[in-house]
Amino acid sequence: MSATADDIEEQTSVPSPAPEHQRSSPFATAISVLGELLITAGLVLGLFVVYSLWWTNVVADRAAHEQSDKVRDNWAQDTGPGALDTREGIGFLHVPAMGNGEVLVEKGTSEAVLNDGVAGYYTDPVKATLPTSGKEGNFSLAAHRDGHGAKFHNIHKVKQGDPIVFETKDKWYVYKAYAVLPETSKYNVEVLDQLPKESGRKKPGHYITLTTCTPVYTSRYRYVVWGELVRVDKVDSERTPPKELR
Amino acid sequence: MYGWIWRHLPGNAWVRALIALVLVLALVYVLFQYVFPWAEPLLPFNDVTVDNQ
Repeated sequence: MSATADDIEEQTSVPSPAPEHQRSSPFATAISVLGELLITAGLVLGLFVVYSLWWTNVVADRAAHEQSDKVRDNWAQDTGPGALDTREGIGFLHVPAMGNGEVLVEKGTSEAVLNDGVAGYYTDPVKATLPTSGKEGNFSLAAHRDGHGAKFHNIHKVKQGDPIVFETKDKWYVYKAYAVLPETSKYNVEVLDQLPKESGRKKPGHYITLTTCTPVYTSRYRYVVWGELVRVDKVDSERTPPKELR
Repeated sequence: MYGWIWRHLPGNAWVRALIALVLVLALVYVLFQYVFPWAEPLLPFNDVTVDNQ
């Protein structure tokens, strides 16, 4: 009985050849679906690399540009003393050794802040001392090494003696890098201390600390650069940059 | 899988190719706009701060 049924089926299927998938066994189908899923997974991972290393930069640079323009506009409008709006950002960081122009500095180091292609000053776990306060302490900053603007990508090019300049509405704070910690644990919060002892300094002073992740493309460790205030210049009417930036 | 999708798209080969292209672009959009931004903080590639957590 069953043999006859098979015969009939075969006979009917021979004249019009069925599409390939109907002929293949369930096992072969499973293998081909699995293969296609694996290829898809590979493509998605490739896209993720494109996203992290290219697209996040596009988005972040756009946001940073917009916010920087707002800050510059605010500065240009003479709003009188005390009326300065710092929500958009408190100033710009210039590190000629990194070769990426100015970096907007905003409050906080959360993803939401840093992903806009800016540098953030620490509020946690150690609160940064802003140079504008005039007090002795540590102006600690973080920014992305890769993606999201990658503002500290070239941090490894900052050597001892290189200038780090922070620009505010009416002052240029000129720092000089004096110590580099090329690799440290991400739990090493002492690097943010008001007197960062690990940098070799013993006395309180006006310090600046730049932190980011290392090695590039991962964040297994942290990279730290310390600087010390050399002098403060007043901004003139032309906003002539200090000689370190010329 | 892709063969199955292709066979179930309507129209001739050109129309199917166009629909397939639109589907691929829509998928890339969803990945870039929603999936990757969600996944990124969960992966250890981009933590730049020191903290005690």
